Amino acid sequence: MAWLMGIDIGSGTSKGVITKGGGTLLAYHLLTSGINYRITAQKLRDELLAKAGLAAENIAGTVTTGHGADIIPFDNQHVADMLCCAKGINRIFTSVRTVIDVQGQSSQIIRLDEKGQVIDFAVSEMCASGSGRFLEVIANVLQLELKDIGPLSLKSENPVTFTTGCAVFGESEAISRVSEGTPKEDILAGVHKALAGKIFALADRVGLEEPCAISGGGGLNAGLIKRLEELGVQLLVPPQPQLVNALGAAIIAEEQVI
Amino acid sequence: MVYIYFTGIDLGSTMTKVVIIDRDERICASVIKHTGAEHRRLANRAMEEALEQAGLSFDEVSYVIATGYGRIVVPFADRQITELTCHARGVFSSFPNVRLAIDIGGQDAKGLKINNGRLLDFTMSDKCAAGTGRYLDLLAEALGLKIDDLGSISLKSTNKVTISSTCTVFAQQEVVSRLSEGIPLEDIVAGIHDAIASRVARMVERLNLGCEVLVPEEPLLSGAIGAALLGKEITLKALAQGETIQRGERRLDKATFFE
Repeated sequence: MAWLMGIDIGSGTSKGVITKGGGTLLAYHLLTSGINYRITAQKLRDELLAKAGLAAENIAGTVTTGHGADIIPFDNQHVADMLCCAKGINRIFTSVRTVIDVQGQSSQIIRLDEKGQVIDFAVSEMCASGSGRFLEVIANVLQLELKDIGPLSLKSENPVTFTTGCAVFGESEAISRVSEGTPKEDILAGVHKALAGKIFALADRVGLEEPCAISGGGGLNAGLIKRLEELGVQLLVPPQPQLVNALGAAIIAEEQVI
Repeated sequence: MVYIYFTGIDLGSTMTKVVIIDRDERICASVIKHTGAEHRRLANRAMEEALEQAGLSFDEVSYVIATGYGRIVVPFADRQITELTCHARGVFSSFPNVRLAIDIGGQDAKGLKINNGRLLDFTMSDKCAAGTGRYLDLLAEALGLKIDDLGSISLKSTNKVTISSTCTVFAQQEVVSRLSEGIPLEDIVAGIHDAIASRVARMVERLNLGCEVLVPEEPLLSGAIGAALLGKEITLKALAQGETIQRGERRLDKATFFE
């Protein structure tokens, strides 16, 4: 029996899985990335091994991916997150042809063929306003937890329009709206709408063939999913959208071992 | 009535600047205050402070020109003029030969092509915080520094780092990571200055940069000084033509941002 490890060091959260042959999930772990990715990666691996009851030498292969994966202090193969995402989503939803991967520091749209191979992609990575970070910035202004803003935004009947495409200026706009007495849910609905619009603009470049799925931390946010669906796409949501890339990494590790 | 005092008020996104000049273009008063979220309406306070400094009553001021991001909401201005025109005029008063001015404000950055104090062309960036003063402000904050100290710290650097993130929000995280890796503070700050300088240089490229950079004695005041000088020109021209001066209402009230 071969055990494989997939590690995804994201800008906000780090995720890891251990699978046994065939991509069956044996253990997973999530933790905040913090500012030292080396320490985070080491801690994540130790936790995963402890949860699975395995030792490091039991692992036949490790693939790492994500924002901070190029400085991991143990033996591993580094694979681009787009390839891991494609592999992971294909294991969960075989029929999916497009994945919208909304991460803390970028968003990407990945087009897949019927075998789950990447045929095209578009990435937003220069600008926080196209990533989950925009939501975090506004959550911070409103002194709310990230996990609460999606559900709260769904209560809005009158979403605010953000006039800027910049997360920093968007933060100032949110502060102005707060001081005017605009309800939090309307500001939140506005920021989710703005982010959905940015992500959809990426889709212009590569198209959105259905069925579509969402992955990454954005997949945990019902408010974002609603605003994306309002733009005209149905989204499949994996049970643990944050783990998709780590799972894909473990599957790639298995393919390389066998 | 003797027309001898002229006021320029530059209500910026971040700082509010007021200048009073006399007929000989000497500065009689200058006030620089944070515009601040809640102080935005208080342009009248800055004006009152300037009048007090100059020992004048408001009636003794012949003409008031408001400029900057918030110029429309200043309730006591006789006229509004864009900050482009005022900066061109203000910089010209410090450096008569200047052909290109770079104005890095709190919320935008502009390049102005100038001839004899008149604006010929301009380029500006206001879609993105990177390249504006806000970038420096937020990165100073991320490093636990005051924005005023960034310049002197940066000059100590011998090995500046490259900041790879364009976005201000991502750069905040990047500089903190660099610091935790043990990279000297001055090398990070120098990298920050390098990033904003190259961004601004790219913006003004179309207007032909590549020359010595001159810095006015008080660069924050350029817009307000320009506004005051334009006020003088407008007033004297009207007088020479025997016209009456069209003044506004002169209410020393709060600005009406939110009403």
